[in-house]
Amino acid sequence: MILIPILCLLLGAAIAFLVNQPLRGEFGIYIAVACLAGLDSLFGAMRSSQEGKFRTDVFVSGFAFNTLAASGLAWLGDRIGANVFLVCAFIFGTRIFNNLSLIRRHWLTQWQDAQLKKRQEALQAQAAASAPNQQAKAN
Amino acid sequence: MMNPFAHRVSLNPQVAAVSVFAIILGYMISTAWITNESRFGSRDADQRERLALGTIDQQDKVRQQSEEIARLQAQLTKLQNAVGKDESAGRLLNQSLQELKLFAGLTEVRGPGIMVTLRDGPAEGTDSMLPTELVIHDRDVLKVVNELWSAGAEAIAVNKIRVSARTSFRCVGPTILVDDNKIGTPVVIQAIGNSEQLKTSIEMPGGIWDEIRQTDPRMITVEQVSKMDLPAFTGRTGFKIGEAVVAK
Repeated sequence: MILIPILCLLLGAAIAFLVNQPLRGEFGIYIAVACLAGLDSLFGAMRSSQEGKFRTDVFVSGFAFNTLAASGLAWLGDRIGANVFLVCAFIFGTRIFNNLSLIRRHWLTQWQDAQLKKRQEALQAQAAASAPNQQAKAN
Repeated sequence: MMNPFAHRVSLNPQVAAVSVFAIILGYMISTAWITNESRFGSRDADQRERLALGTIDQQDKVRQQSEEIARLQAQLTKLQNAVGKDESAGRLLNQSLQELKLFAGLTEVRGPGIMVTLRDGPAEGTDSMLPTELVIHDRDVLKVVNELWSAGAEAIAVNKIRVSARTSFRCVGPTILVDDNKIGTPVVIQAIGNSEQLKTSIEMPGGIWDEIRQTDPRMITVEQVSKMDLPAFTGRTGFKIGEAVVAK
């Protein structure tokens, strides 16, 4: 299952490395929070698509709003002396791990179902193969 | 419902939306990475290790360049003397120049004076003493140098590093920085001047000598020297910000 979004993620990363333009000053911290929010949105989209609940409008608005809100709140927190950065890291970290575990469970279930199906098919094939044999013996 | 993650080639709107934002996210993550590295340096080598290695390299370089500067200063003095021999105006000019250089510490100086040696106290210490009191600090060196200046010393060197008008003494971990040179105990402070006067001044009751002796008498020794050479100042001498005001 090669995923176009993952290829796109790598493509974006490659472009940024080629551009090689570090952000000036304090905004480096806030883009880190925005990254966490974006990762959370992406994993969330992955999970919801597995559950068949993916909606483009929810994803797009969630991505844009969460990244902006996270970095904006972190910036505001630094201005007023509350460490919102840690809050963002904690909340998004929790959500990312939560999403990841759900994705993993989904994949595991899928794989186990496939194995079960394969075994059942094998059993059926065996039964079908042995049925004529028994007939032949009886004859 | 479509699964935007399960499609290989087909670019339906959902896959497109997720892909576009994946590009943006990838770009953001890389930028954060680059920004972080540019701020804290590469993660490949331990920062302290690299710093230590770099410092050692720099120390060798500084030593080499100091020797070079001392050589060039001596050469310059010779050349100025040679030029000054020809004309009387030039000679006068050179004379005042040499006086100024002597004052600024740009030439080697020879003469009588005293030698103050500061040592860390015994490692075991005593119950009443804090361990930090048994160590020679930058401020001890600074105080001794200051008292020597006020007692009329004409030239001072600390561990063979000439003290100039711009010299600073700082504490860096277990060592003392004299300008950019690291020194450790024993700290030998040589001062050229009237040795009798310098000795009595430095051994003044209530002064730094007294203060250090109260901790441990072995930590400070003062001896008179009939003749010694102090090296020339080899630190930076240039002006970047200020400029001379020339009288019109």
